[in-house]
Amino acid sequence: MSYSLIYSQVTGHIPYLLAGAWLTLQLAAISFVVGWVIGLFNATILSYGPRGARWFVQGYVTFFINTPLLVQVFFIFFVLPEAGILLSPYAAVAIGMSLNAGAYLTEIQRAGFASLRRAEIDAATAMGFSLPQMVWYVIVPHIAKALYPPLANQFIIQVMTTSIAAIFAVEELTGRAYNVNSLTFRSLEVFSITAVIYIALTLVCSLALALIGRWLFRVQAKVI
Amino acid sequence: MTDRRRLFVGGAAAAAAGAALVTPTAASARPLEDVLRSQELRVGVNPTLPPRALFNERNQIDGFEPELAAAIAQKLGVRLALQAVGSPDRIPMVASGRIDFVMGAMSRTSERAKIIDYTVPVHSENYGILSVAGRGLTTLEALNRPEVTLAQVRGTTAIPYIARVIPRAQVLLLDNYPDRNRAIAQGRAQASFDGVDAVRFALRPFNQVQWDVTAVPEFGVTYSGLGVAKNNHSLRNWLNIALYELHNDGTIERLWEKWFDGPMLTKVPHSPFF
Repeated sequence: MSYSLIYSQVTGHIPYLLAGAWLTLQLAAISFVVGWVIGLFNATILSYGPRGARWFVQGYVTFFINTPLLVQVFFIFFVLPEAGILLSPYAAVAIGMSLNAGAYLTEIQRAGFASLRRAEIDAATAMGFSLPQMVWYVIVPHIAKALYPPLANQFIIQVMTTSIAAIFAVEELTGRAYNVNSLTFRSLEVFSITAVIYIALTLVCSLALALIGRWLFRVQAKVI
Repeated sequence: MTDRRRLFVGGAAAAAAGAALVTPTAASARPLEDVLRSQELRVGVNPTLPPRALFNERNQIDGFEPELAAAIAQKLGVRLALQAVGSPDRIPMVASGRIDFVMGAMSRTSERAKIIDYTVPVHSENYGILSVAGRGLTTLEALNRPEVTLAQVRGTTAIPYIARVIPRAQVLLLDNYPDRNRAIAQGRAQASFDGVDAVRFALRPFNQVQWDVTAVPEFGVTYSGLGVAKNNHSLRNWLNIALYELHNDGTIERLWEKWFDGPMLTKVPHSPFF
């Protein structure tokens, strides 16, 4: 291949790329937290709610799981303005990613609720636990252990998914990589550095999530 | 195998895969004689830049550049194979010999010429301001205010100029020109400073909006050539001669007028000396 890798022409842009990585992390965190709250609310309805509400939630989940995130954000970014709703690029992407994550996190948390055994609740009741005690000492530890690994995986997926934000004018890591690439034409160098930053980002997130899981919920997630 | 050993082996495999991705392989750009021997000219075009290249109603790649590539292939006496390329993959595609040259508004800049060789210019690129009519956004001074948002296409030549000359304006970087035009029409941005050669074609879907298109000669004119792999002299020399002939017999201007709804705004001065 008549192409020489010259990283020195790109390394000057690394701080610019790292600032994009910080935005990537923010976007992933916001969409995950909002999606988690949506998912918790929906999973509660699916597990214990009235039939009408369950249908509504199931419709939401079916819609968002069966359409691409790109199409969903495109709708929010370009179709809503036709109805007079003009959101900033960051808000449009954050809302789209949150709604999308909410659908997946609904299913994850519903499965967690379903894993709760009736016998554990009966045992706690027989031992005279109050409802808050039952939630804190019986329900949360059980559900947390079941849910923590898939929730952590979903967060990593959120980090990767932020790359679609570049299409909608959000200058996260991938968007900035495209900018540097167009300036220097050093595609291999730019995107290999970007890949390394993504790997570092997800490894750090995995490590942090594993430590949080051990500390908060005593989940035996592998740190390394 | 212990967990630690498995982790080590997995890490080593990932590192090897990564190294394979970023290490040049044996594939290389094809010189002229290889193109002739294979009886096929492989050309990269970017179909997200209409009317330079686009997918037509039969979902085939069409446009100014595919037709020009066909004329070049005809001169060479080989068949044409078009390859759709995007911004990040176009240079590796040329360098690895997957395509023989790349088209797609390859504006010549000294920075880019460190990576790729250019032929003589194919066409000029003229710059100006695109805005909704009646808002007075027809000068660079009018754009240079924080309340003005410019919708631009990511990776285009105008971006560094905007950063230097219109630094107070907000910039919204979008993925393609239809999205750029839609953003301005919807009020997400007020204007754009970019090439104006293709606006007549690009604004057709937005005919309910009254547009102002104002030329900005201060920017100067840039020229686009064909992008050839570094040091592929035999192919580049032949392409220069072919382009001279295609300029001289009016083919390039005729194709331009067909696809851009009018003559090239700045004629390319073609010379028999390269």
